[in-house]
Amino acid sequence: MNKFYEQLLENNKKWVESKLALDEEYFIKLSQGQSPPVLWIGCADSRVPANEIIGANPGEVFVHRNIANMVVHSDMNMLSVLDYAVNALKVQHIIVCGHYGCGGVKAAMGNDSIGLIDNWVRHIKDVYRFHKDELDAIKDEKDRFDKFVEFNVIEQVFDLAKTSIVQSAWRKNQALNVHGWVYELSKGVVKDLNVNFGNNSELDSVYQLNI
Amino acid sequence: MDLKKVFENNKTWISGKLATDPKYFEEMGKGQSPELLYIGCSDSRVTAEDLMGLGPGDVFVHRNIANMVISIDLNIMSVVNYAVDHLKVNHVVVCGHYGCGGVKAAMQSADLGILNPWLRNIRDVYRIHKEELSAIKDEDKRYDRLVELNVKEQCVNLIKTAAVQKANRDRNLKVHGWVFDIHTGKLIDLNIDFDGYLKNIMEIYHLD
Repeated sequence: MNKFYEQLLENNKKWVESKLALDEEYFIKLSQGQSPPVLWIGCADSRVPANEIIGANPGEVFVHRNIANMVVHSDMNMLSVLDYAVNALKVQHIIVCGHYGCGGVKAAMGNDSIGLIDNWVRHIKDVYRFHKDELDAIKDEKDRFDKFVEFNVIEQVFDLAKTSIVQSAWRKNQALNVHGWVYELSKGVVKDLNVNFGNNSELDSVYQLNI
Repeated sequence: MDLKKVFENNKTWISGKLATDPKYFEEMGKGQSPELLYIGCSDSRVTAEDLMGLGPGDVFVHRNIANMVISIDLNIMSVVNYAVDHLKVNHVVVCGHYGCGGVKAAMQSADLGILNPWLRNIRDVYRIHKEELSAIKDEDKRYDRLVELNVKEQCVNLIKTAAVQKANRDRNLKVHGWVFDIHTGKLIDLNIDFDGYLKNIMEIYHLD
């Protein structure tokens, strides 16, 4: 087997040693269960490691990562994660974290067909359509790309709030807030877009569910 | 975990990175070429990069309930195609873990509503290996074994994809199956027989 692969398993041994050096019972405690306060929905991009950039420890963040941090309302993969996080683990916060320079968003701005992924990227193109006037008015391509990344995060936060899972938690007075963040790769900074929901009152009435 | 603290943590982390390399983020902004695609569980205790000692830029990551690879799931298939066809990763790891809540739920009969269809895929793994699993009397051991078998079956599901088959032919990409032992922190390589699996399924699943 090649060196890179062997190194991963070696790294793991060192990681275990470092954890045990600080607390001999570290893994005994960890194995007793999880009650993370946060669900993170982020991009699969290798440069955005959820736990590391926000300084979270094992046990603190339940994680779903896909191409361009999408919340597609008929996606059983994401819905299963969301249901488990909200109803079984009772997380208090859901964070959608996008990032500038996102390949998925970039692909959605272009016209290349890249196979099966076209069908995923279409959801991002739909976000462009909602904000077409504002985006088209931005002349600088990089600025337009950055703004598109932000609009995409905001749209996904709305999509979370529209789900029956999240609205049902609110109806039961479960403390649950959804947030939208952007990570700036070239500076390392996590930015809060200040799009937050703790109830469904700001949703278009057509999306408000009587659960 | 206080969300305000997160932004403080982020600042501290940035300072740490810049102290060792002032151009760290500048370089990071230029692009990614990870060597590995990691498919793991959403479980908060199984921190993908952290437990492999990897950092930003090293590994493309997809995490879902019970590290499942389902052929009609456009979410994961988009991730696999992007990582294998476009980023040209050379390794794909499916990493399960003992104590997995999704696998546990699939061993029980509770109706979990919207989760049922997803968990059905784990029940199907049980059905494929029913004889072996049912012969294990100790429930904890049976549970551990299902975690392992589930990883193996998800590896097989990956090998059935056109992207993986083609990348294996073109540049010898390999799929690996691991279990993270939550009781010890150790990664266990299940040493799945990639070539054997590939050979076994070729008659039906081969894609040019």
